[in-house]
Amino acid sequence: MASATRPATVRERVAESDRSVGRLLLVAAGALFWGWLAVSWVNRWLGGVLVPVGQPLVPPAAVEATLAGIPVLAAYAADAGFVVEMTPDLARGTWLTVVITGVSLALGFVIAVPLAVTRVYGRFSAWVSLAYTELLRGTPLLAQLFVLYYGLNLASYVPDAVSGVFAREVVWVAILGFTLNGAAYQAEYIRGALESVEEGQITAGRAIGLSKLETIYHVVLPQGLRYAIPSWTNEFVYLIKYSSLAGFITVPELYYRADQIAAETFRYTLIFLVTGVMYLALVLTASKLMVRVEERVAIPGLGAEREE
Amino acid sequence: MSDDDFLRVTDVSKWYGEEQVLHDVSFEMDRGDVTVLIGPSGSGKSTMLRCVNRLAEAQEGSILLDGEEVLSPDLDVDELRREVGMVFQGFNLFAHLTAVGNVALGPRRVLGLSETEARERAEDQLERVGLADQLDSYPAELSGGQQQRVGIARALAMEPKLMLFDEPTSALDPELIGEVLEVMHGLVDEGMTMLVVTHEMSFARAVADEIVFLDDGRVVERGPPEQLFERPEEERTGRFLERIASHD
Ligand SMILES: Nc1ncnc2c1ncn2[C@@H]1O[C@H](COP(=O)(O)OP(=O)(O)O)[C@@H](O)[C@H]1O
Ligand SMILES: [Mg+2]
Repeated sequence: MASATRPATVRERVAESDRSVGRLLLVAAGALFWGWLAVSWVNRWLGGVLVPVGQPLVPPAAVEATLAGIPVLAAYAADAGFVVEMTPDLARGTWLTVVITGVSLALGFVIAVPLAVTRVYGRFSAWVSLAYTELLRGTPLLAQLFVLYYGLNLASYVPDAVSGVFAREVVWVAILGFTLNGAAYQAEYIRGALESVEEGQITAGRAIGLSKLETIYHVVLPQGLRYAIPSWTNEFVYLIKYSSLAGFITVPELYYRADQIAAETFRYTLIFLVTGVMYLALVLTASKLMVRVEERVAIPGLGAEREE
Repeated sequence: MSDDDFLRVTDVSKWYGEEQVLHDVSFEMDRGDVTVLIGPSGSGKSTMLRCVNRLAEAQEGSILLDGEEVLSPDLDVDELRREVGMVFQGFNLFAHLTAVGNVALGPRRVLGLSETEARERAEDQLERVGLADQLDSYPAELSGGQQQRVGIARALAMEPKLMLFDEPTSALDPELIGEVLEVMHGLVDEGMTMLVVTHEMSFARAVADEIVFLDDGRVVERGPPEQLFERPEEERTGRFLERIASHD
């Protein structure tokens, strides 16, 4: 306790300022990444108000020329120019990755909660949920996508009402696949969290006259879902990366675009390095976001000593 | 044994699997009575309480509450629980809700009061148990004694006609027991009908109309506190009371 008021040592102050520099760099990189994505999207959406659709936001030649004038960076000037030239394609692919991941995750959550609840509190329905999760978790995701796309040819059944939302109907097939698969994984994480809600909470709910379902809704879920956030974040991160499998059923998301560019230009290493950085930016954003969410909904004393 | 007993428990038997934990338990209470259940750990006190609000299912016997058969398969259990408040040894406060949230949940979701009405009722009940200054505290921010008082307020907010207390002070540090007993004394004075499991013998002596001594799932002896404490008829009762007294 006494040490709380002790002045920081030099070493501590240096460490602290290192940390804030690191944080600053991370925030700046994040702002650059999302700023680039947002401006690219707005530009496309408004039909090319800033630069013609399909053109980079900054001219590649200008980037190359600028870097060529800086001694340490001159060697990379040509590569940088090439990457900038590819940014419009990468931006479109990244957006699709973001949308597919976000929509699948949200829809999957809606399915996962009842799945988890029936697993924990159901009788017959517990077996149905178990069968579902085991089937979806026990078979390869890529095989599931192939069944939906090639096997069942679902792309031709996409309802007219939503078929125009994306340029290609197959995007909906990918979303369906990731939703069904992700729901199974999310349900497992949520199930574990629900099981850690104390029995006495349910007893207390029943004792004031709430039905079993009402108790689950008003008492168990608000606690269990909070406990689930850290492990659920894993599924979020996995889905960002697994969404690249959509490329195998011709969805033009980030991985698919990168693969195409690489095949045309043979610049495999450079393109996949840049693509890797994009995925990293998405993953870091997701985990930072979920840490924020967790802090935001935190309740004193709840789940404090049950970090998994 | 008049016909207008408010609560009449008759020959209640209960098994958990093969193990019989209640053997033909009988006792009765008038409106406004305080009955204290005592007995060694594992003697079936909690189980008996839980049979009254159907958190546990008795297989045999009858429990008449205000003339209605509690054990009837047709009974609306949630309706029964609206009218019977319960206070737990471990408090069991809803960990994600503030004191007000804990107390308001029943009125809001079970009785269907509006958000404001439920909150007002919760504030009134918390004031009643002396917690007007802790309305927005979460359970983890309250002492054990405060938590248990929230637990009592939560039960009272349903305006129950019978209150069940299952060892309400057993989990508390000695210095926090008094504030909870004080609230319970207040309820007795207001005429609340209370069925209480407790080892607080001075409380039992002061407020109980009848003491029921359970051992091994059987009623060994029952009677007014003066009789049971001063002149127990059964040897087992005397031995149990001595053991309890030596712990104090
Ligand atoms: N849910 C349960 N399942 C199985 N046995 C139980 C359960 N609850 C209580 N028992 C058993 O019933 C007996 C009476 O328990 P309880 O009513 O809790 O006693 P007390 O409250 O007097 O300590 C004990 O033998 C206990 O092990
Ligand atoms: Mg007990």
